[in-house]
Amino acid sequence: MAEDVKAHITGVVFQITSKAGDVLAAGDPVIVLESMKMEIPVEAPRAGTVREITVAEGQTVQEGDTVAVLD
Amino acid sequence: MGMKDLVEDLKARRQRALAMGGPEAIAKQHADRKLTVRERVDRLFDPGSFNEIGLLATHANIAPAMRGKETPADGAVTGFGKINGRHASVIAYDFTVMAGSMGRTAEVKCNRAREIALTKRMPMIWLIDSAGARIQEAIGSTFAQSGFLFREESIMSGVVPMVAAMMGPGAAGTAYIPALSDFVLMVKGTSHMALGGPPLVKAIVGEDITAEELGGSKVHTEVSGVADLEVADDAACIDAIKEYLSFFPSSNLEQPPVVPCEDPADRMDEALLSIVPDSARRAYDMKTVIAHIVDGGRVFEIKPGWAKNLITALARMGGRPVGIVANQPMVLGGALDVDSADKAARFIMLCDAFHIPLLFLQDVPGFLVGSKVERQGIIRHGAKMLYAVSEATVPKITVVVRKAYGAGYFVMCGKAYEPDLIVAWPTAEISVMGPEGGTNIIFRKEIAAADNPDEERARRVEAFRTLINPYIAAGGAFIDDVIDPRETRPVIVRALDMARTKQVQRPWKKHGVMPV
Repeated sequence: MAEDVKAHITGVVFQITSKAGDVLAAGDPVIVLESMKMEIPVEAPRAGTVREITVAEGQTVQEGDTVAVLD
Repeated sequence: MGMKDLVEDLKARRQRALAMGGPEAIAKQHADRKLTVRERVDRLFDPGSFNEIGLLATHANIAPAMRGKETPADGAVTGFGKINGRHASVIAYDFTVMAGSMGRTAEVKCNRAREIALTKRMPMIWLIDSAGARIQEAIGSTFAQSGFLFREESIMSGVVPMVAAMMGPGAAGTAYIPALSDFVLMVKGTSHMALGGPPLVKAIVGEDITAEELGGSKVHTEVSGVADLEVADDAACIDAIKEYLSFFPSSNLEQPPVVPCEDPADRMDEALLSIVPDSARRAYDMKTVIAHIVDGGRVFEIKPGWAKNLITALARMGGRPVGIVANQPMVLGGALDVDSADKAARFIMLCDAFHIPLLFLQDVPGFLVGSKVERQGIIRHGAKMLYAVSEATVPKITVVVRKAYGAGYFVMCGKAYEPDLIVAWPTAEISVMGPEGGTNIIFRKEIAAADNPDEERARRVEAFRTLINPYIAAGGAFIDDVIDPRETRPVIVRALDMARTKQVQRPWKKHGVMPV
């Protein structure tokens, strides 16, 4: 079942570190946000395959926003 | 009857009580992946040291519904014994007897156990596995004469250590026992706590929910923060209680126990040179730093699953217990929010109450800002942490590992908060705010007026950056020293040793007004 990967802090998308089709383990970074002057990874909540990344670098995201979808 | 027969009669009575709710109920308890109350108590105390009080108690026979029923020990095992050679008092609910429900007689026994803990100054331990009040005995306005235990527990707080282990259900009033305790454990899968259980929730607010979703270990150790530690099973639960208590004195009249230390106090650790990344924007695991500093790398974390942007842990340094409050750059960049401030404030109060020195490891970019946290009352929660760190009179040692920004520096025991020693690693950045944020505010006009604003901003940021290095703070003697990270352990052990004789006199007051 698909699962949304959500930002747990408000910030700017600093780097997209995975792409559709990538197989990730739980805890692997999906993207990296910049917030509080820190690079903060958004991690995969469980093991799975990335279906899509729904944000672009430089985009501002709010806490709770979906940044990727995991299959 | 002659004496011999009388003694035989006593023996038979004892055996009936020790049989608990009978073989069927015991088999059900085991099938539910739970130890019986007597197996739990056996594991808790040193062999042969447990003295039971109220074994022969039975229900008060005040309710028609209870007539003819047997309630061995009235559903609770109470008494005292030794844990690693030191006395403790216990109240353990027996789920095999009327679902561990609290009857009138069991309350009398519990009063006795609490009285022993308080007047003899020893830890009070609750092993909770109970459906709550025994409704058959409690219904009606006799309820007016109940609720004493929570007042007593509040009075005992900070006098003797109090531990509540959820080893089964704990609903309604029973849930306030852990809420008022210092340390709350929950067994994964078998324990629940809620002010109202699922049937009551369904009846009152119409919500359909399982006991696990409502108040299981995951809810309380990861979401609500009501519990401190999730444990795998009953055996792990009892073992964790014993380990927790090993850091504490028997009461606030004693000092924490010191154990022989095999880890050299002057151990320099090369690994500390390579944990913090070269880029100040990169995260690292503060738990690794802690593991390389404390005795034998052994750490007992409190609330490891909740507010993970801040670590609270018990450990030893040079054989002496120490309470560690550390920012965790891995989560939210180490920024503080409402839950982490709450977690830190409570932990600081706990350590201070029982004379456990505090070690602060700083890497904090500040408090989170924005509408969400303001609505959550971050000012109030942040103030709670300021209050707790200000009030604490135990030895306090501060190490600025990296970021020390704004109020984050204050609440993590900055210079104004009476650290007995405050030192920084060469990687330290101390400032009211970071170079980027500060430059944008101070030089807003200059940057806007420049031919190339981006270049001007970058130049200003670099100039700002030269002001935040720790040598300026050390040059003014605002911090005590800049240290080689490898020296961290020896520096802390020596400071803790020096601060043992610390005396602080506060002005008299009844009590302060804590910003809760």
